[in-house]
Amino acid sequence: MFSHAWRLRWSGEIHEYDIRIEGIADPAIDVGVPGGMALVGLVDDMVKGDITARQQARDAILNELGPESLVDAAAVFGNFEMMNRVAEGTGITVAPQVLEREAEMMKTLGLRDTMKSQHS
Amino acid sequence: MSGLVNAQFRVRDDLIEMAERSFAAIAAPGGSLSGEERIALAEAARGSDVNGRLREFARHLYSSPATVACEHVRQAANDAGDPQTVETIGIVARLSALDRLHTVLGVDLGPLPTAQPGLATGEIARGLKRRRGHVPMPPGPIPVTLDLVPFEAGAFRAMFGPLYMTEEQMGDPLFARDPGLNTPQLETIAARISMLNECFY
Repeated sequence: MFSHAWRLRWSGEIHEYDIRIEGIADPAIDVGVPGGMALVGLVDDMVKGDITARQQARDAILNELGPESLVDAAAVFGNFEMMNRVAEGTGITVAPQVLEREAEMMKTLGLRDTMKSQHS
Repeated sequence: MSGLVNAQFRVRDDLIEMAERSFAAIAAPGGSLSGEERIALAEAARGSDVNGRLREFARHLYSSPATVACEHVRQAANDAGDPQTVETIGIVARLSALDRLHTVLGVDLGPLPTAQPGLATGEIARGLKRRRGHVPMPPGPIPVTLDLVPFEAGAFRAMFGPLYMTEEQMGDPLFARDPGLNTPQLETIAARISMLNECFY
């Protein structure tokens, strides 16, 4: 997640978006990319929602961003379901220097305590 | 097999081709498991017949990745072997990608393909050590973590481009699919799903 939160901030700045990285942890906060609330909502409703919520989440993307964007969203969603399982299964770890470098982002995302417990 | 051609709207050709290739690769003999064994693991991941340590591990990794700990992986590896465990991680992870792609698009998950005949190929990388993770792997980032079983590692890496970005595209912050999503939008989804899966890598 660190690398993608970092890449969101990096690419968002180049696009001159007003990125609020805390929106990754709190879906009530708009991350600041076009359609960001709908994109985060799609992830949440696909993971936690019922069949009605899932369809509403798809419709929000279709209405706001179009069918090609829903296809792209489904694809990248799938990619990170895969990557997360490879990371957990193989046990690849975040390098200590990355944790140190990203201390501020960890705090913003509310991860500091969780990370401590992961590495204890 | 993939039902993406039946989606309500047009799915990119590269995604359809990737899905067909990936399902076929799951059904093919791997480095340490036959096609029949690989399909049985994929079926276990989806929730049927989870008898046996490796099938239990497949189901666990598919359904609840955040709760997979070193001890679960080591138990599977002690019971079945490191190559078989790495191969299982690859099968489950790639199946998770394919299944999520389908469900987000509202496409029913079809049955898994029929296993291809033949024994495991025996192609296993030599000399890798369990230096920083649960399984033997070379030094490097996540794309090399399945390199113990070259067939599985290749199938894994072949999915990055259609699903997300190629390595070259990742270097361009202005990369965008047109029409479609740009890099910040893609990274929003990547970061949020990783957050929900409690995957901090």
